[in-house]
Amino acid sequence: MSLVTDLRAVLGDEDVMEEPVELHLFSKDASLMRGQPTCVVFPADAAEVAEVVRIAEAHGVPIVARGAGTGLAGGASPTSGGIVVVTTAMNEVEIDVENRTAWVGAGVINLDLSKQTLPFGLHFAPDPSSQSACTIGGNVANNSGGPHCLAEGSTTSHVLGMEVVLAQGEIAVMGGQAPDTPGLDVKGAIVGSEGTLGVVTRVLVRLLPVEPDVRTLLMSFDSVEDAARTVSDTIAAGLVPAALEMMDRRMCEVVENWLQAGLPIESEAILLSEVVGESDGVTSQASVIAEIARRNKATDVEIAETPEHRALLWKARKSAFGAIAQLATDYYLHDAVVPRTRLVETMKAVYAIADKYGLTMANVFHAGDGNLHPLIAFDANDEETNRIVHQAGDEIVAACLRVGGALSGEHGIGVEKRDLMRHNFTELDLDAQARLKEVFDPAGVFNPRKVLPQGSRCFDFGGVRREIPDGAWV
Amino acid sequence: MGLTYHPPHISWLEVDIPGAPEPAFHLAPKTVRHVESILRYCSEKDLVVQVWGGGNHSGFGSPVQPDFVMSMERMNEVERWEADDLTIVAGAGARIETVEAMIAERNQSLALPERPGTATIGGVVAAGVSGLRRGRLYGTRERVLEVTMVTGDGRLVRSGGRVVKNVTGYDLHRLAVGAFGSLGVIVSVCLKLWPTPPGTATVTVSDLHQAAAVVRPLAVLEVDGTLQVFLQGTESEVEAQAERLGGKANPGHEWPDDPDGAWKWSLRVPPALTGHAAGHLPGEWPYVAVHGVGEIRAASADPEGAMELRSWAESVGGHLVMAEGDPKLFDPWGTPPPGLALQKRLITEFDPRRILNPGRLPGGI
Repeated sequence: MSLVTDLRAVLGDEDVMEEPVELHLFSKDASLMRGQPTCVVFPADAAEVAEVVRIAEAHGVPIVARGAGTGLAGGASPTSGGIVVVTTAMNEVEIDVENRTAWVGAGVINLDLSKQTLPFGLHFAPDPSSQSACTIGGNVANNSGGPHCLAEGSTTSHVLGMEVVLAQGEIAVMGGQAPDTPGLDVKGAIVGSEGTLGVVTRVLVRLLPVEPDVRTLLMSFDSVEDAARTVSDTIAAGLVPAALEMMDRRMCEVVENWLQAGLPIESEAILLSEVVGESDGVTSQASVIAEIARRNKATDVEIAETPEHRALLWKARKSAFGAIAQLATDYYLHDAVVPRTRLVETMKAVYAIADKYGLTMANVFHAGDGNLHPLIAFDANDEETNRIVHQAGDEIVAACLRVGGALSGEHGIGVEKRDLMRHNFTELDLDAQARLKEVFDPAGVFNPRKVLPQGSRCFDFGGVRREIPDGAWV
Repeated sequence: MGLTYHPPHISWLEVDIPGAPEPAFHLAPKTVRHVESILRYCSEKDLVVQVWGGGNHSGFGSPVQPDFVMSMERMNEVERWEADDLTIVAGAGARIETVEAMIAERNQSLALPERPGTATIGGVVAAGVSGLRRGRLYGTRERVLEVTMVTGDGRLVRSGGRVVKNVTGYDLHRLAVGAFGSLGVIVSVCLKLWPTPPGTATVTVSDLHQAAAVVRPLAVLEVDGTLQVFLQGTESEVEAQAERLGGKANPGHEWPDDPDGAWKWSLRVPPALTGHAAGHLPGEWPYVAVHGVGEIRAASADPEGAMELRSWAESVGGHLVMAEGDPKLFDPWGTPPPGLALQKRLITEFDPRRILNPGRLPGGI
């Protein structure tokens, strides 16, 4: 029987799509990478996903799990074809107020989860800029961050357990509300694996109490270096604000033009910082940060006076990627991460690369944890521009790795950065990762050819068999 | 019994490791190269290796009958402390106490176990145990940024990175936390540090309702029936919080020692059941309960009542783990977690000859 017939026998006609327009709709995520799926399915639960996995294995076609498709690295683009498994029908939320946890369907939208938990005074900490669209399943797949993961950590710190469909359609439940499940922390390896080890269907998340008070500071500077130094000095002073974000002049102009949030467009850089906690704490922390900013020649320090003002500032920050559409049809974005002590020199290098190629670049990034988002606006239809943009992107990554950074802070590797992995890891590191993938997915059905570059598995390593002459090794 | 020969070419790495199993050969490598070579050699000869930090967690799991005990005591250097970045890279054998003393100069903390004794960074990561501040500052697994380890067959593998936020590649370093060295010998670790703010206080309160006056305290501990709230922040913040709690406030933090006894236990339950679990302890077991987390550390003279306690813990989705005792008299882990076959396959990829702490993990893997 055909693949689609088999799938329809299990999921019903409506939940298996194969019309060209539908296939086109699910042929890519928010990256530039497009694929060609054979069909798109909408399973309702783990049991249905398990059937899909078994059918995919029987037909020898790949499975690409997809939440809202907001990923920026091609992780959810079906670049090798196959079945796109859309998780949005798995959207139940079961809150346990006493234990401050919730079992959440993979298809639940990040912001919806926090809206549902808010009446209980609880929230889910990871808050990617795409939080009004992205799903918890996608957050788990990418170990997503967001501005507020500076103090609370990325998604992996908030995943206590999960229900996941593994190879051969095996449904496994891992972790739980009790801490430190004995044995290997297998779920820890699944978080951030970009759908290459299995399909996560439900997640047990940690919820945090909503803090009683908050101060949001908007600080303006005449140079990016002054702003970056303020970030380093804040961390060095022993403060871990809830968020510490930077936008450069170009980005402020674009956002302001779109949103009129009152951002100071005459400044070279702004910092958006937030401290949370009890009233006394936030007041004193905010004044320490303001003092550090002034010492670093801040031209203005403003504290949001009302919840509306605070919301507007955050909207401005989180709209940055949307606003950039005004500059050009496409944007190319990296999210390399560097030690916070190397921010100033890295920013200088990044601007120099953009200048060298005459590119339009705007910067908005999670300065507090050293996670850069240099964003190049361009027209992808022009082949030469395309080539230059990618060349510049590679140079930016190289500059970040040179100071001890890493390829990706929160967007993932997917297809986009897959072939740069060799710059970040040794052959043996990649081989170890490839072994992990093989253990989970011997048939290679789960999101193949993502994350790891081809040939990562080095079969020629003969560690065990190689004879070592006596006495030669110490 | 044990080792039938004495490898002469490594005799110069021999050390005496008090408390480590006999009659195994005790050695302490000085470099990563040593570790690689020793493990390759042991894999070839099928010699079992027990990895040794400070010996604090050697009671966890089924005992290993090692041919070699490999102490990490000589690989104890702080390779890099980026105080302004709040990160540190240290050799596995670095003692927590030593490192804490060093970084306290800049008011920073590892936020690993507060009463570490001889415990090492590698040992705590391998055992997957956390500090009492984990409810606020997160547990060890959340704080590990990078792990460098040597697999059972002698491959040097690094996972993660020296940055505070990173999604580059698979998180093998998280698998290494709590794996008791079964994937590889941890040689160095990069950890995220926490700043220690100037204000600290401890307030004794009468019940959890009273403790709830502070939204996110550093810790709420129950020590043998006495409930204490540990506060940390700016001085004025802590002062206001202490006042709101209304109990007896003392400046500073006096962290409790782990309860002492011939048998030691780690009881893990859903957070809301922490107090209930403390009430379930048999007899007069001394304990430290970490409220909001669901971790209870306890001790006893014998295992009497432990079986009933385990049944209860498992019935509520928790575990009773034996941290020290006689594994011949009591099963150290209890009902093994699901998915053992997958765990076994994972371990085999990293330690194909199964020479690193074989059988120590739940399910005898």
